Amino acid sequence: MLFFKPLTGIVIVLVLATAQGCALSRGTLGEDIKSESVEAIKKATTTKDEVLALLGAPDRLLQVNGRDVFQYYRYDAKVGSLLLILINFSRVSVKSDDLFVILNREGIVEDVISSKRTEGLEFRFWPFGE
Amino acid sequence: MKRPLRRLCPILLSVVMCVTFVGCNVVRLTLNTPLTQNDVAFIVPGKTTLADVITKLGTPDSITDSNTGVVATYRFLDMRYSRINFGWLLKPWSPVDTDLIISRTGLGTDAFELLCDSNWVVTHQSFLRHLSGPRFNPYPF
Repeated sequence: MLFFKPLTGIVIVLVLATAQGCALSRGTLGEDIKSESVEAIKKATTTKDEVLALLGAPDRLLQVNGRDVFQYYRYDAKVGSLLLILINFSRVSVKSDDLFVILNREGIVEDVISSKRTEGLEFRFWPFGE
Repeated sequence: MKRPLRRLCPILLSVVMCVTFVGCNVVRLTLNTPLTQNDVAFIVPGKTTLADVITKLGTPDSITDSNTGVVATYRFLDMRYSRINFGWLLKPWSPVDTDLIISRTGLGTDAFELLCDSNWVVTHQSFLRHLSGPRFNPYPF
């Protein structure tokens, strides 16, 4: 145990001596897609007007398979930088939340497709590996 | 006289290496989690629906229309940038900050595309260009 104490001290001193600093930054694009609003949309019941009232105008309006598709998206980016004396490491991780609302020809919701990838987004510093 | 020189050589070499690596940057940017062949192995054309795919892989990044059906696309990107500033070698001796920078950026892009029929059943699936990830290599020539 006594052997490790000086070693730990040396490691701490080395880390403090080489680490000039670190930086954390975050950037987002678009508004957060609220889960309550998505849950309020019911298949075969909710109308186009109700979707617009709940979520606002879509970021993209698509015509797919003879149906209107409203696409809502939000991007989240987290940047971690470790500034050492010898070398600087930075890692930028970007993920998106997407919501597709598929409307039939009568303007009624046919399907709702959504996923939140940004929930698992973490600040990372190490640029190597996965 | 030879002994001190022999001892000095590794120290000098390590000092030169350390000074060289000062001003070295390694940056990586990733967009979404890359999909592998194993991730999409469950898709059986003619059987699997888009809803099944979404349950396992999440929402696609885009859905577009085509003459033969609907195309759902999952996109991902892996960018690697490395840079060395050799100008730092002159810092102890030069009154001005000189830069001699070499850097290189590698952009690995790929997409997984699904073609679905009018009933949202997957008919075809393929990776757009399955690129091997770029390496951290600042040498630009």
